[in-house]
Parts: sequence; structure tokens; C-alpha cells
Amino acid sequence: MRKSFAMRSLYIVSSLIVLLALVLAGCAPSAAPSEGSEAAEPAAEAKVYRIAFSVPAMSFPFFVHMEKQVRDEAAKIGNIEIITLDGQDNTTKQVADLEGVIALGYDGLIVSPRTNEGVAPVIQQVIDAGIPVVTIDRRADGVNGLLAHVGADNVLGGEAQGAAILSLFPEGAKIIELLGTPGASPAIDRSAGLHNVIDPAGNIEVVCQQTGNFNRDGGLTVTENCLASNPDVQAIVAANDDMALGAIEAAKAAGVAIPIIGFDALPEALLAVRDGALYGSVEQFPGGQSRTALQTIVNFIVAGTAPASDVVLLTPKLITTENFDEAERIGEIPQ
Amino acid sequence: MTMKQNTPSAPRPIDWTAYASQLGALGVLIAICIIFALIEPAFVSSRNIFNVLRQVSIYGLLAVGMTFVILTGGIDLSIGSLLALAGLVSAAVYKGGMGLLSAGTAGQAEGFGLIPAIAAAVAVGVLGGLLQGTAIARLKVPPFIVTLGGLTAFRGGALLFSSGQPISTFTDEYKFWGQGMVGPVPVPVIIFLGFALLAYVVLRYTRYGRHLYAVGGNPEAARLSGLNVSRIVLSVYVITGFFAGLSGFLLSSRLNSAEQVAGVGYELTVIAGVVIGGTSLFGGEGGIFGTVIGILLIGVLSNGLTLLNVSPYYQQILVGLIIVFAVYLDQLVKRRRR
Repeated sequence: MRKSFAMRSLYIVSSLIVLLALVLAGCAPSAAPSEGSEAAEPAAEAKVYRIAFSVPAMSFPFFVHMEKQVRDEAAKIGNIEIITLDGQDNTTKQVADLEGVIALGYDGLIVSPRTNEGVAPVIQQVIDAGIPVVTIDRRADGVNGLLAHVGADNVLGGEAQGAAILSLFPEGAKIIELLGTPGASPAIDRSAGLHNVIDPAGNIEVVCQQTGNFNRDGGLTVTENCLASNPDVQAIVAANDDMALGAIEAAKAAGVAIPIIGFDALPEALLAVRDGALYGSVEQFPGGQSRTALQTIVNFIVAGTAPASDVVLLTPKLITTENFDEAERIGEIPQ
Repeated sequence: MTMKQNTPSAPRPIDWTAYASQLGALGVLIAICIIFALIEPAFVSSRNIFNVLRQVSIYGLLAVGMTFVILTGGIDLSIGSLLALAGLVSAAVYKGGMGLLSAGTAGQAEGFGLIPAIAAAVAVGVLGGLLQGTAIARLKVPPFIVTLGGLTAFRGGALLFSSGQPISTFTDEYKFWGQGMVGPVPVPVIIFLGFALLAYVVLRYTRYGRHLYAVGGNPEAARLSGLNVSRIVLSVYVITGFFAGLSGFLLSSRLNSAEQVAGVGYELTVIAGVVIGGTSLFGGEGGIFGTVIGILLIGVLSNGLTLLNVSPYYQQILVGLIIVFAVYLDQLVKRRRR
């Protein structure tokens, strides 16, 4: 018994070590080359610019996609090394990441702050340390000296959802609104946009306005509940695609076929649009945002050209079967 | 403190006062149901009742496992993360691929079939539980710490496994387990109630069940009376692991998608349900009946408040207050009993 226990703990410890080694090996290429490139390749080689890309959490597919686009663009431009900093959905972690950016003296920073209040001060420190910064997707208010903000306007996206509801139901309708995580700025802005359009119309009644916390589980559960008390609902508007995809399952289970509108134009949502399960989803061109952000910062570092405007907003667009080809991630869905 | 009356040798007579606190939670549950039904008749429609049952069944399964752990005086914070990992593994095995929308999309499965998928999910859960249970029972690391580590590590494992992307869209055969119905009753509800009944019988009528209470009530006394305490402690983490694995499969089936973010925060809801149901966080007291009531109470609250379209901000405050109130009631009853 005791021996098998010793073996077992040995096994656990060794597998943990292997796991750790794997993880470190995975991280190494992005962290290490700085020494190598400076020591081994003197003068002659073109300088490799190290640009940090800091996101709230790599557990969100949205940021995974952005990161991939940044890397693709970097490879296209050449001589750029992207260092991804995963905030792990934790403001403190992201602040520490950005302090590391100053300590390591990277050449530039592209950052999507997890929260405005928490991260803005350290972004200011990065700028004060002489490192050019572009914010992406989410803003950092009250920061001076930002090279640019590249993003999509969530309010405009919400308005696109509202416009779709008005055109679907000129005579008025009862709808369910699935809100995002309470207090999160995209949740607030998207809902504000929707109401900017449907409230003045006066004939759209939001009979159930509840949070699905931006996740599929929440979207499904809330929709089930709302449909139980309001079986005569005519449409569902969700503040992101995960909740919309959850709502699809709930509507299917309840035997209700009504238009559902999502937000983010994720590949899975595009598939649902194509198959008719989803009426549409708002496209914010996150890849376009990422590429623009990188181009902006590289132009500044290499050529010294500042962008014409320090706010670059891509106009969001509702993707339906009509304009399906305009979706950015259309290549990621199976034919 | 003397030893508890439920020593391993003596068969426990049914002690109705022990049910008092659970009946307290039941009373709160019934009161809340009546209030909701009066304000919103749709609340008591059969459709809504099955909605609530379906919504609580995954929390319920996890809570059944958690009851075993808490009865020994332990805690398992890792279940939500383990659930996510198991769900992804199950989905990947079923579809035979890891990609976001790889082969078998919406159409026929091209993977390894349903049974291997479920088996893989359960295996992941059991292995995770075994690993943590070993660290707790043999290496004597406190359960809070071990499973806190598990909470982070399994979530990391899920992210690593899926490269941060969900695995979605299954065939009807797979979705049946989370979405299907047998007559008017949703399948996950049957699974939940089946396991709850089984757990009730195990805890109440088997030697293992009595040993569990003994270990939770007074581990030193249990050891002195010849129980293999560390084996019993190890076993309860395997049990929560099993339920986390099974729930991972069921949740992916219900959502038609296995996600790396699935089950975030589930551990807190589940622990709240168990505690509301009268199981003591110090171990040795409580049971499955109370857990089912506690989980139902949480489910009914969130369902009813949504039905009434109460602002989500108020909902969080209300749920918090009711959790504290229910446990206060529990303490009150127990104090009077002594």
C-alpha cells in the first residue's frame, strides 16, 4: 500500500513537471528571442520590433481570433515579434502584464483594457515610459498621449440590431432582450444602441429584459424562462452570439420559430445564419481592428508617421443571408 | 463534545429532528413557490416546472457529489473547471476532432460514437477526482487548497485542450441526453433524480454511508474505531469527479456546444445549494434530501425572478439574502435542538 502510494505521488509529481515543462516550452519562443536576436545578429540584420498584445482573456474566442489576426499581419509585415499577454480575465493580472511591458522595454503595445478604471493608469505609465500604445476594441478613458484607439462602436452595433427589429416588425412587436454581463461596457453600450432605435418607435415592447451573462448557458436558461411567461414573443435580441446560440436551443425546445439576432458574427453564428436558425449577427470586424491597430503602431515606430485621426472606428454591420459574404470570418465555417 | 450518535456500528434510527432544518429549507421553498404562483400564473405551468427542473438538474448532479464531500468536512472547488474539461473531451471524442466546427457539423458523427464520448467524459472526471483525492487523503494537503489548484489547473487544461475555441453542433443522438424528453419529463431531470435517489440510499442505508458520516463527524474517532479514513476521503473526491465528468457531457449536450468557459462559478452555486439544504460545512451532518431542496430553491428563485422580469441587479441581491437567511434558519433550528 505504502509503496504504491509512493509510486503514485511520484507519478503525479513527474506528470506535473512534464506539464510545466510543456507550458514553459510553449511560452518560451515568445519570451526568449530578445536576447538571441540582439546578441547573435549584430547590426546587419534588420531590427526586429517587439510589440506586446495585451487582452482581457484568451479564454474568449473573440480575443483568440484577434490575436491570430495580429500575428498574421505581423508575419505579413515582417520583422515583428508579437508577445501575447493574457489577462486571464483578471484586471490585476493585466496590470502586472503591462508593468512588465515597461520593465522589458518593448517597442510598442496594443492593448484591450479589461476594465477602464483598473487598467487606464498603467497604460498611462507605459506611455510615459516612451512606449507607443494603441488601444483596441475597448477604450481607456483619461489617458494622454495615446497613439490611437481602434475599435468598433458598440452603440452603433446595438442600433443595427434595433433597425433590423423595426424593419422586421413595422407594426410593432414583443421582444426578449438578452443583456450582457451587468456592468460590462459592451453590455451597456449594445443595449443603449438597441434602445436608441426601438424606444422612439414606441411600438416595440421589451417584455423580458434579463442578463444571460454573455454565455450560452445564460442565454438558454433565460430564454426558456422568458418564453414560459411570454409565449407570444415575436423576436429575441441578444447582446452577443453565445447567448443568441443558447436562445436558439431554447426556442427550438419550446417549438417557437422567431427571428433571433446576435452580436459578434462568430463562425458558429454565421453557420446558424446560413442555416436559418439565426436571423442575423452584428459584425464588428475584430480582425480588421487588429490589423489596423498593428499597422498604425508599426507605421509610427518605423516611419514615425502618426495616424491621421487618433480614433479609428470601424462601422459595425448586421450580417444576414442578404449580405452574408461581407462577414469577416466566413472562411472559418465549413462549406 | 462527545462522539456523535451515528457511530459506524450502530444503525441510525430515523431522527426526525435531524430533518427539521431541511424542512425549514423546504418551507422557504414552498413559500417562495406560492408567492411566485400568485403573481405569475405561468410559473406553475407544467412547461415552466419542467424548465426549472431541467435547469437545476446539472447543478443538482454536481450537488449530489458535493454533498458526499461536504459530509466528510471537505470541499471541492474544482468541479466547474473539471466539468468544462470533461465536456470538451467528450465533444472531441464524439466528433473525432478538436476544431471549432470540424467534421460532422450538424450532420452525422464521424467520431468515435456516443458511448466512448460519455465514457471519456466520466473518465476525465474520475481521474481528476482521483488525483485531487490522492493529494488530500494521502499527501494531507487541505482540500480547499488542492481543489483551488484544481479550479485553476483544470480550466487551464480545458483551454489548452481546445485552444480556446468551443466544440459545437452535435447530432440528435448526442443532444438527446441534455435536451430530450421521455414523455413529458426532460432526460437530465431523470438522470438527476435517479442519481439523487441512489445517493440517498447509499448514504442512508449502506455501511459506506454510515462510515462517511462517522468520518465527517469525528475523523479521529472514526480512525480509532478501525475505519480506513483516508480511503473514504479519497473516495468522495472520486465521486465528485464522476459527477463533474458526467455533468460536463450533459451540459455540452444541453447547450449543443462544449465550451472552455462552461461551468464557471458553478462550484459556488452548488456549495450554496448544499449548505442551504442543511448540510454542515464542518461535516457529519446533512443529506441528499436537503441538497435537492437547496438546489431547487436556488433554481426556483432565479427562474421566478426572471419570469417576473425583476432587474438582474436586484436578483443577485435577493439570492444572496435568501442564502444567508436559509442558513440562519438552519443554525437556529440546530441550536434549539441542542
